[in-house]
Amino acid sequence: MWEVNVLEKTIYIRMRHRVIVHQDILVKFQDIAQVIADEEIYQKIIAIPIHKITKQDNNIIIIDVMKVIKLINTLYPDADIQIIGPTQTIIEVVSKKRGVSIPLFILIWLLLFFGAAMAIMNFHEDVSMKAVHQHIYTIITGTYNPHPLIFQIPYSIGLGLGMVLFFNHIFKKRINEEPSPLEVEMFNYQQNLDHYVIMNENKESMLKIDDH
Amino acid sequence: MTISILIVMFIGLAGGLAVGTGYVAFLTVLGVIPRLTQLSKTMKMIHWYEWAVVMGALTGVLVSLEDVILFLKSYFLIPIGLATGIFYGMVAAALTEVLNVLPILAKRVGVDGKITILLMALVLGKILGSLFHWIYFVKL
Repeated sequence: MWEVNVLEKTIYIRMRHRVIVHQDILVKFQDIAQVIADEEIYQKIIAIPIHKITKQDNNIIIIDVMKVIKLINTLYPDADIQIIGPTQTIIEVVSKKRGVSIPLFILIWLLLFFGAAMAIMNFHEDVSMKAVHQHIYTIITGTYNPHPLIFQIPYSIGLGLGMVLFFNHIFKKRINEEPSPLEVEMFNYQQNLDHYVIMNENKESMLKIDDH
Repeated sequence: MTISILIVMFIGLAGGLAVGTGYVAFLTVLGVIPRLTQLSKTMKMIHWYEWAVVMGALTGVLVSLEDVILFLKSYFLIPIGLATGIFYGMVAAALTEVLNVLPILAKRVGVDGKITILLMALVLGKILGSLFHWIYFVKL
């Protein structure tokens, strides 16, 4: 084994951004990072146990790359470790395939449905939409109609069509390949959450020094 | 007399400027026009779209402040109604998105995959709420 210590060995590590695991699993190094190294070293370090998930753990665990380097260093003190990309991995523990509860889903659906309906009615009243529609009817035809449905029904359908167009969904079917603003927004939200947990769950990233 | 007319003209100009810039700023924040160009792949025509908004706003000013009457058939109202509806729908959708309602809701309930169905609730709610309002509610 003496030549192992003499040779200059480079280990490239790229931590995965987010790993989803189940309860009671031993997280190994290969689960949380991509590694490039000599075959012999590679086989050895990918099997390093990093963390055993227990009931006591929260559902989010942050593994900092410093911890990983420490573990590799005990095995290969001379190794040159190069870190590429993120410096920590978020391990998300999911308990036994949490299914979507259908009644709750239906409740939310109805909530959104009636909320949207109520909101659009309030909006119409708020901005005197009725008077504007009657006025438009008069402008075009020259006659007064208290209920210009010929204008209002296309308007109502267009309202929904505009929302669908904006979110790039014709009910499941896409107009083009680009992600919809909603998907981008979901992604941004997840990124912000990840950033928050990285900073707050990781005890090493924030340090309070008390000098008294 | 001349002074007061000049002052009134100045105030009118100032008011118009404030409303106009506010309107454009609002549209810009919501990103409705970029979204339309992105969908239709007509980025090069964006200046024409800007002018469309400006001309539309000025037409709106004209017909709401003066008594313009065109004496056309009422069928002309169908495309206009559809166009205004789509525009409002896009603005409403953009507002929902700016306020981050759906991502948070989907995350809380754990229905990340079924977000389209939640979106359908909003869309159908808007359409049916609007139809209900015009066909039934205003006649009460």
